[in-house]
Amino acid sequence: MVTKGFRPILLRCFMWTLAAIVAFLILFPLWWIFISSITPAGELFSKPLKYWPVHPTLESYQYLIDHVGLLSKIGNTVIIVGLSIVIGMIVAVMAAFSFARFRNKGLSLAVAFLLGSMLIPDVVTARPLYDFLRQMQLYDTYTGLIILYISGLLPFTILILQNFLNDIPVSIEESASLDGCGFLQSMMYVTLPLLRPALATVCIVNFITCLNNFFTPLFYSNGISVLSTAITQLPLRDNMYAVPWDLVSAMGWIIILPIIIFVAVFQRQIMEGIMAGGIKG
Amino acid sequence: MYEGKKYVTIAWLLVLPALLIRVFTTIYPIVETFYISFFDVKLLRGIHQFVGFQNYINIFRDSKVQESIGFTVVFVAGSMLGHIVLGIMLALILNMKIAGQRVLRTIVLLPWAMPMVVIAMASKWAFNNDYGLVNNFIRWFNPSFQLDWLIHANTARNAVIAVDLWKDLPFFAILILAGLQFISAEMYEAAKIDGAGAIRSFFKITLPLISRNILVLSIFFTMWRITSFDVVYAMTSGGPGESTALIAYRITTEAFTNLNTGYAASIAVVLFIVMAILSGISMAAAKRFDY
Repeated sequence: MVTKGFRPILLRCFMWTLAAIVAFLILFPLWWIFISSITPAGELFSKPLKYWPVHPTLESYQYLIDHVGLLSKIGNTVIIVGLSIVIGMIVAVMAAFSFARFRNKGLSLAVAFLLGSMLIPDVVTARPLYDFLRQMQLYDTYTGLIILYISGLLPFTILILQNFLNDIPVSIEESASLDGCGFLQSMMYVTLPLLRPALATVCIVNFITCLNNFFTPLFYSNGISVLSTAITQLPLRDNMYAVPWDLVSAMGWIIILPIIIFVAVFQRQIMEGIMAGGIKG
Repeated sequence: MYEGKKYVTIAWLLVLPALLIRVFTTIYPIVETFYISFFDVKLLRGIHQFVGFQNYINIFRDSKVQESIGFTVVFVAGSMLGHIVLGIMLALILNMKIAGQRVLRTIVLLPWAMPMVVIAMASKWAFNNDYGLVNNFIRWFNPSFQLDWLIHANTARNAVIAVDLWKDLPFFAILILAGLQFISAEMYEAAKIDGAGAIRSFFKITLPLISRNILVLSIFFTMWRITSFDVVYAMTSGGPGESTALIAYRITTEAFTNLNTGYAASIAVVLFIVMAILSGISMAAAKRFDY
């Protein structure tokens, strides 16, 4: 379909322009947040806006480390997100395996319940859950938060893993059992390795979901602060403006940077994950 | 497939942890929500009195809640209209066969991967009249433009919808793109031979083939929009006045700030019932379209 002449070139230019506009609309705000984060606080209120750093400085980042406890917030985030993903994956694999390999009425009900419970919005259950966690002394604890983070991941993770497991023939496990493998052994050594690509994809998507979780740490913790809520709790430095913009942009960029790298590296797996499940944003 | 009694125990043991976590975090609290929606619970004064449907009746008399519902409807409608129209256009752009297409798709994934709260915090500043990105951008084209978006009810509402679109439209477009890729190139070539132009083949081939896809997606996105919370929490705190207090934000304010737990529960129950009806519709739609 190669036609020579003026029109294809014009069309190509048009397509490039469209693509450039889209890229610009997405990247420009991110660039602006970055610039703001390395501009001295006083210069933020200069007109017209500068889109190139004139006096770059890392003082907002330094302030976050010295006065806002940035490192402990990063630590909390790593602990909670890390453990939630690992434990959540184990719990989800077990359940998905059971759902994919066994059949009885009770189990079908359990599947329906697990997937159905996805439809219950966070906000509907927030207050009773908050009171319940206090009673159980799980409010503002790592355990409590991790349980809630895992809970958020489970339905989607189980759904996806079960779909993948259904595509792996049971006969593989049966032949392993003929060789003397018990049920759990064949699951561990035969099926699980085959599931590895699916596990990787789901892990990557779950990582982003956990990092972005805002509702859970906002309502069910107070002392344990993670990055996503920390950005709304920054101290006011002057009375002129309600938002300490230099700190917000620095904190924002700290959250955004790992995500940009992560998306760039795992673009393909993320796309696959999205296509496989139509994940909640 | 494993048959026989000895596997029943294993099967249940494998499911148990997942089941326990979900019961503890969703089923117990939602039953509790239904229960307390019939009580007047004033946490500060410790009153716990059965009031029947009074909380539900109060919803009809509460102008704040009605305003929230009103804005939620506007927000969902505006956001979804934008998602569908702009989403199709963006999906077509993502589907263009040009160099750098992969880079573009990676860029488009970024808003989806970022926390809404970060974007919402940044937007609060971006919509500032004097120092904000948005007006500065508009002034490239119209140097005398002045508008403080977040201090007027209507412009604040538009700003909230715009931020929601920036964050989720790319994701919507990627999901439409998934549908576009199932359409074979031969259909377009056949149409071309028959003399159909680009616009005609879009309306006669592309749109009909992705319409069910768009329908199912729209229902899912609508459900997520109805429970939107963090965008207004971080960007406008429901203001100015109550003009951008989405229903989810209102429920949490009643429950955690005003401590009207029973009343908050009754609004939550109404929200839940709406969601249940919508999900019923979406499942019926999903069944017709193998998503």
